[in-house]
Amino acid sequence: MSTPPIIGARIPQLGAREKVTGQAVYTDDMKLPGMLYGAILRSPHAHARIKRIDTSKARALPGVKDVVTGDDTLKVAYGNWRLVPDIQDEYVLAVDKVRYVGDEVAAVCALDADTARRACELIEVEYEVLPAVFSVEEALAEGAPTIRAEKPGNLSLTREIEYGGVDEAFTRAEYVREDTFRVPTVSHAYLEPCSALAAPDEGGRVTLWTSTQTPYIVQVLLAKTLGLPENHVRVIKPQVGGGFGGKMELRTWEFCAAFMALRTGRPVKFTLTRADELAYGRRRHAMVLRSKIGLTRDGVILAKDLDVLLDSGGYNAMGATATFLVGNFGAMLYRIPAYRYLGRYVYTNNPPASAMRGFGAPQALFAGECQLNMVAEELGIDPIELRIRNAMQAGDSVPGVATARTCGFREALEKVRDASGWVEKRARKRPGKGIGVAGCSFISGGVFNWFDTKYHFTSCEVRVFEDGTAHLLTMASDIGQGSDTVLRQILAAELGIDIHKIRLTAGDTAVTPKADLGTWGSRVTLMAGNAVLDAARKIKEMLAGVLFMEYDLNQIHDVAFAGDRVFVRAKPKRGMDFGECVYKALRGRRGEPLTAFGYYTPRDKGLVTPAFSFGAQVIEVEVDEDTGVVSVEQVHTAHDSGVPINTMAVEGQLEGSIHMGLGYALSEELITVEGRVRNATFLDYRIPAAEDMPPSASYEIVTRDPEGPYGAKEAGEGLVSPTAPAIAEAIWDAVGVRSDTLPITPQRVLEGLGKL
Amino acid sequence: MRGKASEPGGQKTLPVAKRVLELTVNGDRYEVAVEPWTSLAQVLRDELRLTGTKVGCNEGDCGACTVLVDGRSVSSCLYLAVEAEGRDVTTIEGLAETPDTLHPLQEAFIEHGGLQCGFCTGGMLMSSAFLLSHTPEPDEGEIRRGLSGNLCRCTGYNKIVESVDAAAKRLAADEGGTA
Amino acid sequence: MTAPLSFDVHRPRALTEALDLLDEYGATARVIAGGTDLLPKLRNGRLSPEHLVSLGRVGELDGIEETGDGALVIGAATRLFDVQRHPLVRKRLPALHHACSVMATVQIRNMGTVAGNLANGSPCADTSAPLLVYGATLEVARRDGHREIPVGAFHKGPGSVDLASGELIVAIRVPPVPAGSGSAYQRISARSRVDMAAAGVAGLVTLDGDGRVAEARIGLSAVSPTPTRCPEAESLLTGQVPDAPLLERAAREAAEEAKPIDDVRATAAYRRHVVFVMANRVLTTCVARASAGAGGGTP
Ligand SMILES: Cc1cc2nc3c(=O)[nH]c(=O)nc-3n(C[C@H](O)[C@H](O)[C@H](O)COP(=O)(O)OP(=O)(O)OC[C@H]3O[C@@H](n4cnc5c(N)ncnc54)[C@H](O)[C@@H]3O)c2cc1C
Ligand code: FES
Ligand code: FES
Repeated sequence: MSTPPIIGARIPQLGAREKVTGQAVYTDDMKLPGMLYGAILRSPHAHARIKRIDTSKARALPGVKDVVTGDDTLKVAYGNWRLVPDIQDEYVLAVDKVRYVGDEVAAVCALDADTARRACELIEVEYEVLPAVFSVEEALAEGAPTIRAEKPGNLSLTREIEYGGVDEAFTRAEYVREDTFRVPTVSHAYLEPCSALAAPDEGGRVTLWTSTQTPYIVQVLLAKTLGLPENHVRVIKPQVGGGFGGKMELRTWEFCAAFMALRTGRPVKFTLTRADELAYGRRRHAMVLRSKIGLTRDGVILAKDLDVLLDSGGYNAMGATATFLVGNFGAMLYRIPAYRYLGRYVYTNNPPASAMRGFGAPQALFAGECQLNMVAEELGIDPIELRIRNAMQAGDSVPGVATARTCGFREALEKVRDASGWVEKRARKRPGKGIGVAGCSFISGGVFNWFDTKYHFTSCEVRVFEDGTAHLLTMASDIGQGSDTVLRQILAAELGIDIHKIRLTAGDTAVTPKADLGTWGSRVTLMAGNAVLDAARKIKEMLAGVLFMEYDLNQIHDVAFAGDRVFVRAKPKRGMDFGECVYKALRGRRGEPLTAFGYYTPRDKGLVTPAFSFGAQVIEVEVDEDTGVVSVEQVHTAHDSGVPINTMAVEGQLEGSIHMGLGYALSEELITVEGRVRNATFLDYRIPAAEDMPPSASYEIVTRDPEGPYGAKEAGEGLVSPTAPAIAEAIWDAVGVRSDTLPITPQRVLEGLGKL
Repeated sequence: MRGKASEPGGQKTLPVAKRVLELTVNGDRYEVAVEPWTSLAQVLRDELRLTGTKVGCNEGDCGACTVLVDGRSVSSCLYLAVEAEGRDVTTIEGLAETPDTLHPLQEAFIEHGGLQCGFCTGGMLMSSAFLLSHTPEPDEGEIRRGLSGNLCRCTGYNKIVESVDAAAKRLAADEGGTA
Repeated sequence: MTAPLSFDVHRPRALTEALDLLDEYGATARVIAGGTDLLPKLRNGRLSPEHLVSLGRVGELDGIEETGDGALVIGAATRLFDVQRHPLVRKRLPALHHACSVMATVQIRNMGTVAGNLANGSPCADTSAPLLVYGATLEVARRDGHREIPVGAFHKGPGSVDLASGELIVAIRVPPVPAGSGSAYQRISARSRVDMAAAGVAGLVTLDGDGRVAEARIGLSAVSPTPTRCPEAESLLTGQVPDAPLLERAAREAAEEAKPIDDVRATAAYRRHVVFVMANRVLTTCVARASAGAGGGTP
């Protein structure tokens, strides 16, 4: 059966008109009658015991309607990792201790935002300041202060992978090198600051509108922290202005909005400032990665030993996943017969890090790909050739962890080599100009059930009507990437109806079918897409019978759905309009509506993902040797994301990833001194602007993944990783400076050149 | 504080009363009572409920709040509402000539994928509109410089630049056709 | 911390009215032009005036005029965007033109003013180095008087300027650039936009009939407590043939004269180094422009 033309089409987002006219509604755009405004009091100390909180002055301020502290709450520890209760270590409001500057201590709601903020300042908190630690090395040192009593020594968790006899393999290696890389903590810097609005609902229930990637997770954890049945809590995701992993946990303001709405009987809204986001918000993990690699003289990898220290900050958040994934990505891309990984997740008194686009891959691949480029230099092998010699292929696996069933890595490397003029540009040195390469791989959704959901990983409902339209209900969360459009493309392709005839309801836990784990790990297209396929096929089954009745078909006939018609595939004239077919089926069911649920849960797919994407990127830069300023001039990317469902959306993900990778490479870093972020404004936290963005050429390496809907794999995160190592290599090619630390600021370039 | 500052013309200095402003936004006239320190962004969003103007930073850095005041792009989060009195304010809701049509820039952003989450989009469009008002046929560098005050975390800008380029070409062609 | 705000805004329509208001409210009042520096300071509580006197409707302060002697007078309410686009600024004052084109963002330039940039008192002010080398003066008025301050004497220290309560900058007067001069400005920051400069260097070189330097001026911003000139480097150049080795020596001297500090934007060492690099480039451009004849167009 051929792929319907809507698969792989360039289709603008279906909600684009509302976005360009300003009609699309985000959480902070909403206002309800009687609504109160919330504000949060945060800890000024990185580590302290709370001895006393006096809220009386705040309560006495006219206009203040409620003040809450940890003592008013149930004091249950919570976190996304429900599977391992031991690492659920966070409280919605601090209990006894604060563990980072910005830890939430109390919250206020009042008639207006100014009053709420002023009331916060009137809350008196007596702290006993404790010694604090701000780096993983300090935190692990003998005698370091304990941040969480359950974890003396501050080692929150470890993860090990080992196979293939690493020590023995290193003895056979003709070439061995060991390097240490440091990557900083960076911000998601989504443009929409977090916002949450809650309203009391009848019978002690509550509804929360929130800027989230994971409405179901928020519902469950909110119910737990409020002490309500899950079904009493309704979470609705309005339009979301970007997330990139930063909006996938229950957060304090969500809890406080709901809690205080229930206590006051009035709607309550919290909206963060940019300074809150940058100073205290979730962030990507800073890491120290020590990597040792052994090869034969002609460049065949024999062994790799990777030791990583991850800076957790004050709480675990999604750290267990990060610790695991760094190890996984350390072994991806190449055939590494012997591999050892030790990841240690370490508490510090920095603001907590958590999931961010690429989750573990940007760090692991910065280290791995930079190191491979150094190997290439020393062995005198072209870096692309070295990669091709070792590239993973379809069917290869990381033993005990995952198998890549499709893999276009080698093709991607060849494509960027040829398309960029690599060979010639590498050979012909031009002053200040350089070219570099790096590869990447990513997961298409995680298979590890850390949330310990008892439901399917994703579900949807499809309803069809006699007017020829359909309604897709899904808890999958479009946070800007366009998945609402992609899912409708898949449904339109299956049902053969015009995509504009599909209404979509998404992300409302009281309405959309249970459950969906949310948008992270590049899971939506593959997982929610498969659920849509499942539901659509059930609907088609209901409709096919109508044709069999109508035309008394031989049992062997197949029914086709295309062009808003349902017809006998072998005899297309025999058929009817989609709507008419629904009508007839409905009559046959004596009025019972045609509706079907679809589900997807990856089973028996290892520990990581059902499908890996692969890619390779070549980047050209120009370096000003006097100022150290690096200009990125051209990016060439080849990407195996399976069969792209929406090419415009895939390109959009690619270019957005390059933007983030560019910032990670050259300018972004939350400069944190003693746990305090010193650059908590967009003026000083430098994400690239339009002028910084290079032209980008991209090439799809199409593989057809057996697990993905229509063969699709992920496209949203993998490409955030190769940009930094490729730029680092290009800088080396240009001026001979290698940087093992990000970001590669002009200052670092000049230091490398010995000019400072 | 100087003694006389407290009693000019019998007024007291604090607390400051709200002031009734007459604002013209997208051609509509509004009367709103605002405190003198209220930003234009806040009045547009909270009072007039024109929420297409977004606040991404409230510090003048991101451009999500860009509106036109007398035809010039400004950061409405750093612009006092009282300063808009007597001027023409255009927000994203007023970019298209009529409610049922789209401005060519809006069409181009849709067609060329110049948006993802949409949070920066209103501001991007207003900055683009200002750019085309003084540089009708910008080259790529001019477009990128014209958008220097608008951050986007989703798109990587290139499709936005393409969108503006396409809209400019279309507007120029339309001009050429009608002139 | 966001401080609760409370102030009144006055929007006079004439300069005299503005001066009366400033006189009346004295130290409790502040001028607001674009507000792009002032508003953030009010919100974070670093300033808390009770009255703002807005220049938004004082039409007589908006615009750029050429006087009989060839000076350009930039009214205090003229927006940076208009300064950037003014044909005479572009032609005669390329260093100022460049500063106004690259600083801040389009929106901020549509709001902010040169006078505000200076009066804010930041050593990083992008227009300060160009105005220093052009020998500009500030025309300052109060209800009962008027004075002129050279830009070089205006800044007293970080955040502090020579302006008394009741006073208002009416205009910035830039005298005609001597014949045979070339001028230029460069700034550097780790990212191209929405960024304050980590260092800025402006230069103006006047050549005599023999191609020797009759006068050289170098202005620095963001690398000292106040925007500053480089007298030693300037005197190295005076009377000499401006060949590449000499320019490089002068640039090195200028870097020595800088007093940079470490902050989140750059380290002192980096700043000092790029002052040298940019001074060298700026001086080279100045000489090329001076030799090419006029004040030098912009690239
Ligand atoms: C996002 C962003 C980016 C920026 N980037 C840059 C940059 O790259 N380079 C740079 O130099 N600056 C930058 N700035 C700072 C600012 O925009 C400029 O300094 C601008 O020129 C200030 O002008 P204004 O008219 O807005 O001043 P205002 O904010 O109105 O005033 C600033 C100060 O000057 C006083 N004042 C203003 N006018 C007068 C007058 N006529 N007489 C007496 N006192 C007066 C005010 O009382 C106040 O104390 C940036 C600001 C923002 C928000
Ligand atoms: S909200 Fe105004 S510039 Fe960011
Ligand atoms: S589309 Fe999301 S910030 Fe631009």
